[in-house]
Amino acid sequence: MRYRNATAYRFLTPYLLIFAIFWVWPIISSFMISFQATRTVPWRFAPGFNWGRLIGDPAFFNALKNTLLILVIQVPVMIALAMVMAVLLNSPLLKARGLYRFAFFAPVVVGEVAYSAVFRLMFSLDFGIVNKLLNTVGLPKIDWFSNVTPAMALIMIAVTWRWAGYNAIILLAGMQSIPEDVYEAATLDRVSKLKQFFFITLPLLKPVIVFCAVLSIIGTMQLFTEPFLITERGGPGGGTETLGLLLYRQGFRSLNFGYASAVAYTMAGLAIAITLVQLWLTREAK
Amino acid sequence: MANVKLTNVVKRFGVFEVVHGANIDIKDGEFVVFVGPSGCGKSTLLRMIAGLEDISGGEIAIGGKVVNDVEPADRGIAMVFQSYALYPHMSVEQNLSFGLRMTGNPKADTERRVKRAAEILRISELMERRPKNLSGGQRQRVAIGRAIVREPQVFLFDEPLSNLDAELRVQMRVEISRLHKELGTTMVYVTHDQTEAMTLADRIVVLRAGHVEQIGRPLDLYDNPDNIFVAGFVGSPKMNFIKGHIVGRGAKEVVVELAGAEKTRITQPLTDAVPETGSKVIVGVRPEHFGIAGEGDADLAVAIDVVEHLGGTSFLYARTADGEDVVIQRDAAKVPDTSEVTVSIRKSYLFDEKGLRLR
Ligand SMILES: Nc1ncnc2c1ncn2[C@@H]1O[C@H](COP(=O)(O)OP(=O)(O)OP(=O)(O)O)[C@@H](O)[C@H]1O
Ligand SMILES: [Mg+2]
Repeated sequence: MRYRNATAYRFLTPYLLIFAIFWVWPIISSFMISFQATRTVPWRFAPGFNWGRLIGDPAFFNALKNTLLILVIQVPVMIALAMVMAVLLNSPLLKARGLYRFAFFAPVVVGEVAYSAVFRLMFSLDFGIVNKLLNTVGLPKIDWFSNVTPAMALIMIAVTWRWAGYNAIILLAGMQSIPEDVYEAATLDRVSKLKQFFFITLPLLKPVIVFCAVLSIIGTMQLFTEPFLITERGGPGGGTETLGLLLYRQGFRSLNFGYASAVAYTMAGLAIAITLVQLWLTREAK
Repeated sequence: MANVKLTNVVKRFGVFEVVHGANIDIKDGEFVVFVGPSGCGKSTLLRMIAGLEDISGGEIAIGGKVVNDVEPADRGIAMVFQSYALYPHMSVEQNLSFGLRMTGNPKADTERRVKRAAEILRISELMERRPKNLSGGQRQRVAIGRAIVREPQVFLFDEPLSNLDAELRVQMRVEISRLHKELGTTMVYVTHDQTEAMTLADRIVVLRAGHVEQIGRPLDLYDNPDNIFVAGFVGSPKMNFIKGHIVGRGAKEVVVELAGAEKTRITQPLTDAVPETGSKVIVGVRPEHFGIAGEGDADLAVAIDVVEHLGGTSFLYARTADGEDVVIQRDAAKVPDTSEVTVSIRKSYLFDEKGLRLR
């Protein structure tokens, strides 16, 4: 047995080495870097330097506020939407189910740059189809890119568009694992379809919903692509800057790796904390 | 309580017709078992009565009222599913009361019904548990309890015992029988196990490939099967079928010779038309209807392959001279120790080539 284990580990060694160098080490290293002043050459150990700056930095709190705002609004809306999509996908009345399933999943596979470009076009002030549509129903044009509130809304719309289908597919898989005869029993019990959804589907789907929520929270905490590409590096004026963007700006624009590492650890810590709270709130009653 | 009447009921899935015009008349308070091999349409019939499947043709009436277009919940039925179909996230108590709570039944009445069902099924101590913390038999009880709580006019059971082990199955069978006596409600019960059918039913409906083959009391089916399928399906071990042909005929009788055994001739009285001499027939003999040589209608020489001793009785697996397998039941004390033996046929059934009974 011991011999077999040793052989197995020998086979795993190349992978473990790469894993250690490119995964474990950066994690440890960035943690140590976060305690160093990296704007001086050479770097020097100064524990309070970055972390001290963090707790008083308005740019950090702006990014934190934006990230949490997107999280609090976008994640629940998206999961609710994904649930509706999953219910529709699961309906026996639906024709061409495979096509919809593909269509809902497609945004995830589309290249980020391409999709961002299309969104910029669609929401452009004068040529965008969205403003044209608003106009036709008698609403005023919205300048999506120059005002903070529309820009935030745009980010949320884009992220939701991209990930709702993905979550819907996961929820659908969960729904399909609920046996049909449970619903038949409920039908015989004179329980309406709507009540069946709220009293059977939702409770039985809870673990899957929690799973989707956790994935989405982790994803949104790291949000980068959309504010970088669609609202042009967190514009207008930092109005859509997220923690991910702040990290990028500090690390790769200002080459201040110590501070970027501190931001990174804050993001990870928050994601873990929020997820734990979420798991605790939705824990199975004993 | 109510009777259930199926008139020319047809079921099609797309172009596939799986039930071809079933006529079944279930009396008020009767325990009727649908039995037949897998895929013969038992569940489909039951689900049509429940309203979980549309009726493609014909009529189903419950309590004298045609229910073809009545919602499942309004048919006065309750169904117990093969997989129990319990609500996994609810306690036993919640499982029982769910339907009533959702439809705004008065709280006191709900409690009374749940309590009564729990008492009848002796599950009162389990009320706080979740289904996953119950044994198979306990889950089955809860599923039945949920049906009782509805106080239906007709109970429908779809193979309720097939997920239980053999011992528990016998125990629950007795229990369901007791339940029927206690409640006196009409019950329709689906199974592919002929023992369950024989022991539970007031009347059995034997189905094959979407056709009703015969309806009758258990012993009537056993003593007087209409065709070779029913004859083979009812009784365990199943009836032996031996080829033969007619060698002589009278006005009200025929003489049959078994294939490969010129000396084995059976004379059978017939009241219906007597077939031509030379026509092929099939002779059915139940394992328990073989006797000691010379004590029956005819004697048959067989070669014994295997003997199974079950204690009181034994089964002899043997072959006729023509190479057909037969199973012979014997008292353990009377098992011959030779490999060749002659047995008598004490009682036999005659079927024509199409499998219809000649009588
Ligand atoms: N939804 C369906 N669509 C198409 N064919 C179906 C459907 N449900 C059942 N059938 C067919 O109808 C026939 C009868 O099925 P049914 O489930 O009633 O059989 P059963 O007698 O209950 O069998 P078992 O003992 O295996 O439960 C089968 O041939 C089955 O393939
Ligand atoms: Mg079935």
